[in-house]
Amino acid sequence: MSSASAPGTPAPLVGRPARGRPWGEALFAVGLVALGVFTLVEASGIIVPGSANVMGPQAFPYAVGALLVGTGAAVLLALVRGHRGQAEQGEDVDVSIGTDWVTVGKLIGSFVALIVLVEPLGWPLAATLLFTGAAWSLGAKPWWRPAVIGLVLSLVVQVTFTQLLGVYLPAGLLDGVPSLNG
Amino acid sequence: MGDVGALLDGFATALQPTYLLYALIGVLLGTAVGVLPGIGPAMTVALLLPLTYTLEPTAAFIMFAGIYYGGMYGGSTTSILLNTPGEAASIITCLEGNAMAKAGRGAAALATAAIGSFVAGTIGTVALTLLAPTVADLAVQLGPADYVALMVVAFLTVAAMLGSSPSRGLASLAVGLFLGLVGTDTLTGQQRFTFGVPALADGIDVVIVAVGVFAVGEALYVASRMRHGPIPLVPISGRWMTRSDFRRSWRPWLRGAAVGFPIGTIPAGGADVSTFLSYSLERRVSKHKKEFGHGAIEGVAGPESANNAAAAGVLVPLLTLGLPTSATAAIIIVAFQSYGIQPGPLLFENEAALVWALIASLYVGNVLLLVLNLPLVGMWVKLLQIPRPYLYAGILFFAALGSYSIGASTVDLVLLLCLGLLGWAMRSFGMPIAPAVIGLILGPLAEEQLRRTLAISQGDLTALVSSPFAVAAYSLLVVLFVVGQWIKRREARIENELAAMLAERERVERTATKG
Repeated sequence: MSSASAPGTPAPLVGRPARGRPWGEALFAVGLVALGVFTLVEASGIIVPGSANVMGPQAFPYAVGALLVGTGAAVLLALVRGHRGQAEQGEDVDVSIGTDWVTVGKLIGSFVALIVLVEPLGWPLAATLLFTGAAWSLGAKPWWRPAVIGLVLSLVVQVTFTQLLGVYLPAGLLDGVPSLNG
Repeated sequence: MGDVGALLDGFATALQPTYLLYALIGVLLGTAVGVLPGIGPAMTVALLLPLTYTLEPTAAFIMFAGIYYGGMYGGSTTSILLNTPGEAASIITCLEGNAMAKAGRGAAALATAAIGSFVAGTIGTVALTLLAPTVADLAVQLGPADYVALMVVAFLTVAAMLGSSPSRGLASLAVGLFLGLVGTDTLTGQQRFTFGVPALADGIDVVIVAVGVFAVGEALYVASRMRHGPIPLVPISGRWMTRSDFRRSWRPWLRGAAVGFPIGTIPAGGADVSTFLSYSLERRVSKHKKEFGHGAIEGVAGPESANNAAAAGVLVPLLTLGLPTSATAAIIIVAFQSYGIQPGPLLFENEAALVWALIASLYVGNVLLLVLNLPLVGMWVKLLQIPRPYLYAGILFFAALGSYSIGASTVDLVLLLCLGLLGWAMRSFGMPIAPAVIGLILGPLAEEQLRRTLAISQGDLTALVSSPFAVAAYSLLVVLFVVGQWIKRREARIENELAAMLAERERVERTATKG
């Protein structure tokens, strides 16, 4: 926020500086309207059993669909008039900078890796990959440090959950290793 | 007064060593997540919901109570010691408390926040103890139409009070209501919005929604705009409270409790609003007006007390009406439901032992927090220093674990990621998360009550407004709306003033370091 805090013009702490056009937000609002339309269409396809009394299973979905369309349109209208939403504040968030797509992409990639690999590799190894990938994406250095921490964390969780809490987590490749089996 | 006996029985339960241990785990866990940025009590309770399958209800609720109160305590430590503006609710503590810490009075700021939280938390719990049974007695007479009215009030006030604008709050509510529709209709057994996916027939698990929008959403959001550089911690220095600090603090503690508790009981945005009201009140009545903005102890003592009293207030509608007015309260309702208990007026009759043990554990938790917090502050500071990449990787790890351990299903992980993306978008575009969570949990209940009302009245819509209570509730909605908008405008004004002060301070500091 260095550029905005010139003398006399205090930096707005709340809200990001309006930079460019709010395409993302507009897309989100359109998405809300689309979800609403979808809800309305889908609601008309819900089967109403003959036994259903005055208010069947369709009415509430219709109302929700209408609310989605209405609020989505209202947000869109507000955007056209220049009222943008204020990005949420947080201790670790710098609202004055733009979206860092690379980091987010890496983070989502790490999560997708977990989804794809959890069945073939098992929970402990796939979760290690998630932890390592996420920490590395966010800037942990050197890369092997999160890998070691992630592996230890995953194994501790595996033992605690399967042996102490009785919750199933697939051991995958580590199947057969004592005290890891779910 | 049979309640005193019931409360004493509650204490007899809560003070058993096993339950004390659960309370201790709860407050430690709660404080830890309160201290850590990025995690809140709502998400923590959501992550721990699977425990309800193995733990007996009393132990689980005693632990959740500890997390709930502990989370409130922990937040103040962060805002006093961390030199970055946090969430809106803590901007005040950040301004005054952080200024005190920089001026070498950090210890006093932490102490007045902790003792104030204890005083106000205890007053709030006493008020809860006195008020809740009475409200429950009255609430027994409410019919389905009255519940519809209450839920409409809760929906609209929560949605309108939070977020950048009422339309965004309502949009968030609508998203939550939609997510609540997915699954099998309880009354007719019809599948709705399940897209033919068998895994969706039972609805989307609340754990996955809560963890997805809170934890994964937060991690993605922080990743997209991470504040780089070293963590700007202010070291704790100075003496604990002096005699003059005490003299200046005790009135704000009491006033904070008086402001916070009533705000907590009505669905008006919860703790955030109470801190603002308390701050502006303190500033108006203070004899040290000039110190405000530069580390006035009243500005920490009042709002922190209000915050905790409001947390107690939120439990009144939660326990007596089954009406959640905050995201954490909504998740606690789910915990009750997973034991087959529906919070509401009958709770005090059917589950008296459990409720009174829960209330007693709130007193116990408050004492534990006071005793533990000041000595353990060094540990909390260590927590604050966790490098952010590891912190958010850990949040993602536990979020995935929480969802996957429910049923070892990959579908749940896919859902978790999608909901995380939703949470990220909502944060980026100024949509509050709480209305979505409340809509998700309260939506199905509201639909059921609405359909029950119309079934009884055979489709006559006037049945919705025929009881005096429902009429009163809808009128109250109008009043709350007007008052709410007034508060919001005030809040915005104070927020802007504070922001200007913060910016000014930052500028002065920068020039000072340069020169």
